[in-house]
This record gives sequence, C-alpha cells and structure tokens, in this order.
Amino acid sequence: MLNLIKYEFIRKYRLISIVLITALALNLLIMTRGPEGSVLFLTLSPFVLYILYFVDIIKMYSDDLNKKTGYMLFMTPSSGYRIISSKLIAAVIEGFGLLLIYFLFFALNGVYILVSLDETVDFSSIISNINKIFSGSLGYGFNIFHLFMLLLTILILIIAFITTIYTAITIRKSLFSEAKFGGLFSFIIFLLINWIVSTLSNGFYNFLSKVSPYYNSLDNIAGAGRFTPETLMMIFIPIIGFSIIQATALSWISGYLLEKKINL
Amino acid sequence: MNKLSILKINNLTKKYYNKTALENVTLDFEPGRIYGLLGPNGSGKTTFMKVVAGLHKQTSGSVLINNEDLSYKTKAYVSFMPTENYLYDSFKVVDILKFYNDMYDDFRYDYAVNLINAVNVSTSYKITNLSSGQTGKLKTVLALSRDADIYMLDEPLNGVDVLARDTILDIITKSHNENKIMIISTHLVSEIEKILDTVIFLSEGVVELFGDAEELRQERQLSVEGLYKEVFKNA
Repeated sequence: MLNLIKYEFIRKYRLISIVLITALALNLLIMTRGPEGSVLFLTLSPFVLYILYFVDIIKMYSDDLNKKTGYMLFMTPSSGYRIISSKLIAAVIEGFGLLLIYFLFFALNGVYILVSLDETVDFSSIISNINKIFSGSLGYGFNIFHLFMLLLTILILIIAFITTIYTAITIRKSLFSEAKFGGLFSFIIFLLINWIVSTLSNGFYNFLSKVSPYYNSLDNIAGAGRFTPETLMMIFIPIIGFSIIQATALSWISGYLLEKKINL
Repeated sequence: MNKLSILKINNLTKKYYNKTALENVTLDFEPGRIYGLLGPNGSGKTTFMKVVAGLHKQTSGSVLINNEDLSYKTKAYVSFMPTENYLYDSFKVVDILKFYNDMYDDFRYDYAVNLINAVNVSTSYKITNLSSGQTGKLKTVLALSRDADIYMLDEPLNGVDVLARDTILDIITKSHNENKIMIISTHLVSEIEKILDTVIFLSEGVVELFGDAEELRQERQLSVEGLYKEVFKNA
C-alpha cells in the first residue's frame, strides 16, 4: 500500500511543482500592485487550487483506467481494494498538502499586507491567540473540539465526494467498458449515484427526526442562524456517520469491481 | 512423463458487445517450453494474454495458474509484456526499474540493470525520448527480469529494427529455463520460429492448431511459417 501511495506522488510531483512555482511567481508579481494584489490573490487562489486539485485526482484515476499506462498499476499483484484505498489516501494527503501551502501563502501575504500598511506585526499577539485556541475557548461556548469536528466533517464530506466520482468512473470502465462517450457516461453514472445517495440520506434524516424529536427543531435553529455548540454537534455527527457509511460502501463497490470486473 | 501444468485454460470465452474474441479455448501449458501464440491481427492473441495477466475478465471458462483461480494473487506468478507502450512517460528508465523493484518481490534489479546496459539503453534516458527499438528492448528486459513462473510477451518484435530483434530474441532464449513457461505472441512467424517449442494457431478466437513445433514440421513437411500461411491463407 505504501508503495502505491508513494508512486502516486512520484507520478505527479512535477505537475504539483509546476503549479506551485507558477502560483508563487504569480503571487510575487501581483504583490507589486500593493496590498490589494495580495488580497486578490488570497481570495482567488483557493478556488483555483480547489479546481486544480479535483481535476488532478480525477484525471489520475481516469488515466489509470482508460490509458495504457494503467497497466503499470494493474499488472502489479495488488487487490482492487488496496488500489482504491491507496488512491483515496493519496488524494487526502494531497488535499492536506495544498491546504498547508495555502496557509503559507496566507501567512506570507498577511505579513506583506501588514508591513505595507505600516502596521507592526505583533507576533506575540498571534502566538497568544493560537495558544487561546489550543487551550480551549473560541468564544460563544465553542472550543477547539468543535473546530476539530468542523474540519473532520469537511474532510469526510470531501472523501465521500471523491469516492462517488471514483465509483462512477469504475462502474463505467467495468460494467459498461464497451460504452461509447466514456466521460459523459461516467458523469451520468455520477449523477445517478448522487441521486441514490441523496434519497438514502433524506430517509436517514427523516428516520432521525422520528426517533429523536430534537432533530425536528434543528431546521428551525438552522433557519434562524442561531447555532450553539450543541446544535452544531447534532448536525455534524449524523453527517459524519452517513458520509463514512457512504464512502465505505462506495469504496467497497469500486474495490470489488476493480478486482472482479475490470476490462482495461 | 508429462510435467505438471502450471497454466491450465479450460473453455475460456471472452465476449465483447458485438464480438467474440475467444471461444472455448482449452489449453495446458507445461514448464520448460516456449510457446508461440500465432495468428493474424484480431485473432484473439492479445485478449488471451490480457485475460491471463488479469487485465481483462473472461466471460466464461476458467484459468488456473499454479492451481489457483485468476485473482490479483496470480499476477505475482505472471510477467506480462504488453505490446503497447504502457510505461509512464514522465519517468526515466531508472525510475521504471525502481517501480518494478518496489512492486514485484521477484524483480531482479541488478540483473535488469546489467541487461539494460548490455542492450545499450542508458538508465538515465527519459521514456519519452526512447526510440521504438529501445522501448521494445526495455519492455522485454523488464518482463524477463522478474523471476516469474510464466512469461508472456505480446508482439515483442513489433516496430523493432532487425538488429534490435536479434538482441530481443537473444534475451528471451537466455532467460528461459526448464521451470518457466514462455508464451510469445506474434504474426512475424519467420523471425521467431527458430526458438519455439510449441505452436498455437489462433483464428477468430478459436484454436486452429496446437502442437509440438518440430513434430508438426516433420509431419506436414513445412516450416512453421509455411504452416501459418496454409492455416491462415483465407484469413
């Protein structure tokens, strides 16, 4: 498994390097326009990175199933489950890596903006705020645990989304390997899976509201925009639970199809 | 006494939507022999190899390798060289060697480096910059540097010049021994017939002829190439 993940990154490190060097060059260029340039860069770059990230992970998987270079991977004595797991883990690591890089850009531009506005950078205040976050309180009753749950929910939603895309591509290449217009066909399967998942999730939340009256009031709370730490957790936990089941089931289906039905 | 078969194919059929690529193919392969899988383009040679290599799934029938049904585990016994250029083109030759070394327990890295040097391909070359002859030699070296039970080479001489062909045939014969099965598919019969022990003629997915190459030559008073022309004259 480690070797599979390792080669995922070896295959794409040139592309990632080019993207990062280009981003850095753009950032430096745009900084010459003053702090407004930095603000513009920090606003637009997450969207660009987000799009590039999804294009990259989808293209890598699609290429492995649709191009002859996929033989390199599929001739190895690795099970379908191991292959799909390694792809998912590599995608998550890449996502974290890009997030970290965005934070570095954020810090770089933040310091530049403060300096160019003649503000002094108060490092002791930054450190004290970080300390405050890790020591517990974020204000309004929220603490570091809630922040962690928010990040966990986002992470699991992204994993569930990626597994949905991978499953659509795998179904197309296994059960419908002879079908024409592969990309379009994969997209239709993707929409179909999403429809099934949303039907199941609606059923799941309806079930929750029947067994726990608390959930009936959640819609009202969410509508009013008055979240408390408790209501937020009541929203996060079912989302996390359902998304884990979704990601596990779809990964298993993909692994099974890669193992038993694939035609490269 | 017959040697134990390590590759048994029984009623293997592979169908696509509108085409039958293989139909009820039944074959036993013995170690120590070089098999020539011969037939014109579209006869099912590549499909046969891809099924055994686990890249395609059969529609029906069974394939047993060392008495195990096809699975990801049997890929450890099979070293397959596809005819297409399947190597990552962003890699250098040395990266491909490292990939094989990391992925296959039976890969002999030093042996592969020696062979690569012997065929005048530098390990520092980029895959995109290799000529078709160099790519052919590299693919052959990669497949034969594994200590596998079964080697399958799909059209190893395709797109390769005359000098490189001799080098490739030399590597093949030197790599073969009594414990291995070597299956070579080709339609360039005259080039390869001198190294074949057994021939399998495939036509439209059906085995037309299967037998010992020398016995067939004596029985029919024809070379393997002559037999090929006779069997496929209407193909």
